Amino acid sequence: MAQEWVRHALRSRTWRMQRQAVALGALGVVLAIIISALYLAQAASVATLGRQLENLIVVRNQLEQTNEGLRAEIAQLRSVPRLLARAHELGFVIARRENIEYLVVSGYNPNPPPPQPPAVEKPRPVYDESFTGWLRQQLDWFSSQFQSFVGAGGP
Amino acid sequence: MQSALNQQEIFNRRLPFVIIGMIVVSAVLLLQLISFQQLAPDVLNELSTDYNRNIKLAAARGTIYDRNGHRLAVNTLEYRIGISPNLVSNPQRTATQLAAILNLDELKVYEAINSQRPWVLLAPRVSADVGHRVEELKLLAVTIDKLPRRSYPQGTLASQVMGFVGGDLRGYYGVEGYYQSQLAGKPRDEVISSIPFDLPSRQEPDRGSDIYLTIDRDLQYLAESELSLSVAETGAKAGTIIIMHPRTGDVLAMASWPAFDPNAYTDVANPREWSNPAISGQYEPGSVIKVITVAAALDVGVITPQWTYNDQGRIEVGGIGIENWDRRAHGLVDTTGILVQSLNVGAVTVSTMMGPSLFYGKMAQFGFGRLTGINLEGEAAGTLYVPGDPDYSDSNLATNSFGQGMAATPLQVITAVSAIANDGLMMQPNIVQKIVDGDQVIPAQRVPLGRPISAETARLVRDMMVAVVRDGLDDAASLPGYTVAGKTGTSEIPTPVGYRRDAWIMSFVGFLPADDPQVIVLIKLDEPKSGRWASQVVAPIFRRMAERMVVLMEIPPDDVRRALQAQGGRIGSMNR
Repeated sequence: MAQEWVRHALRSRTWRMQRQAVALGALGVVLAIIISALYLAQAASVATLGRQLENLIVVRNQLEQTNEGLRAEIAQLRSVPRLLARAHELGFVIARRENIEYLVVSGYNPNPPPPQPPAVEKPRPVYDESFTGWLRQQLDWFSSQFQSFVGAGGP
Repeated sequence: MQSALNQQEIFNRRLPFVIIGMIVVSAVLLLQLISFQQLAPDVLNELSTDYNRNIKLAAARGTIYDRNGHRLAVNTLEYRIGISPNLVSNPQRTATQLAAILNLDELKVYEAINSQRPWVLLAPRVSADVGHRVEELKLLAVTIDKLPRRSYPQGTLASQVMGFVGGDLRGYYGVEGYYQSQLAGKPRDEVISSIPFDLPSRQEPDRGSDIYLTIDRDLQYLAESELSLSVAETGAKAGTIIIMHPRTGDVLAMASWPAFDPNAYTDVANPREWSNPAISGQYEPGSVIKVITVAAALDVGVITPQWTYNDQGRIEVGGIGIENWDRRAHGLVDTTGILVQSLNVGAVTVSTMMGPSLFYGKMAQFGFGRLTGINLEGEAAGTLYVPGDPDYSDSNLATNSFGQGMAATPLQVITAVSAIANDGLMMQPNIVQKIVDGDQVIPAQRVPLGRPISAETARLVRDMMVAVVRDGLDDAASLPGYTVAGKTGTSEIPTPVGYRRDAWIMSFVGFLPADDPQVIVLIKLDEPKSGRWASQVVAPIFRRMAERMVVLMEIPPDDVRRALQAQGGRIGSMNR
């Protein structure tokens, strides 16, 4: 009985019925291919970006390590014994109390208060957005996303 | 026609079943997919262990700077080089290349490469430069592990203040130990996926905070070089110098000898060298304490500056006899004379007049017998027996008045005397200027420990200390153009069977300019051989240091300073 039902269900249709089914199926396949292609393009773009990011992180870490090493080297080169030795080589001598002359300049304040920046009035925000403007912004954003999406999926 | 209609009817009747069946199957597949992707991440992670790596990212340790931004502790990398012999294709060439870069014997490297072991360590620690050169060889068999290392580019400078970072990347002693949690930051567990579609997530661990110390690198170098020179000149066994700003409690320099190199902290003969004697080494401070005794007595009104007593050269308290340092009687002596001539009998007379309650109450207010609370690891509280303690005896009231029979750290002594310099207000010693955590700057809080004496009493005692330097030390600690206040101390060293007769601890505490103190210095030498009294041995060291300090700290002579201050100027680079 069941075999009879399956045979009955699968028996040949008229050409018009088969064409409809094939068209529907083809449409489904095309849609699936488009979606898959878009997904693949997006995934490939993400993967590429990920790899680029990883490489950049590695380079950045190496640069940071190099910088830290250089800072340590600079600090060593600027240590007091080394600076003293270098100054001595260049003919400098240690300043003694009697070598220093302090001058009192009448009316001059050596520690004036720090200058204050002039008070600037903050510009007041203008609220002039409208619904149509917002809608246009969203459409533009979608459009730019689609453009970059199509561009990213290219060769 | 009838048949075609029947077929259409049958088709229309069966089509919903087919559609429903397909929807059901699709829904089941979809639900399964969603549950696999979203609802069961644990299962997914379990299945994808091969694709994920868990790594622990250690945070970069914060940098330590001096007050002017000079780096005192930084992070560097070292490399550990190993090799897997079974992956080496050309042992001869590999051995030649590695031996040349690692500065190793080529034969030994060749033997290591030909060994049967799966992995051989070639060099436990090499510099970053050498590591990079090995990396550039791009040898598959060579393993290169990066080892973080704490580096101290100034060498031994301020080593006991800094402490060090051990092999476990944990800070020990000093600032490294005290601020371990702030400096270390927070390590992060990170899952690294090998799947290319997974974007790398944030991989930076939280960096530790940077710490700016109150230490001035140049003053620290001055203190260390003077200490080293003094030890060599006097034959002392050890020594300590502390330079502080009495108004703020900022420690500008803290040096002890012998010091160690934190870059090679394991090279010390005795691990006790890691500790900081300036905050943990307790000693009997001796006659320096007389200024505290006199200040306390003046403040409670037991004596006045004009008060006098008849010094007979000896006094008996609690069953023990106490004599002056010269074992002579000095006759009628006033309050200033007690300090200028450093008379033990005078100090004992004053403390006995005060009585234990008043005397020990003031000693506690000056911070003896308790921690100062400095932000360094390993501070000691000192020892001060008070009535009621099992080890207290009546003679303690006498001996404590001139700094014997009690123990204090150099930091406690300089902190107590700084109250006299700072108009009676005693500031908590502080070693950190600010902590920088990303964009956030946390300045140190200056904390007053209390006001053990009034401003008026402080000024009186300050003048007496000026008289000590002027009249009592034969200008050994004086600096032309500047008024210096100070007091020496020559203390006996206790042993389990009494005091030693062949060695002493000599110290000096002084500040300048006396009427507006910008700096206070404590110098302490253990068992110097070049003299019998601190006035001969330590006071000249203070003078030598003061010569340099007034230049480094931009402190003009008194007449210039007063003229500058008269027109509103501030003096001293440490005030900025």
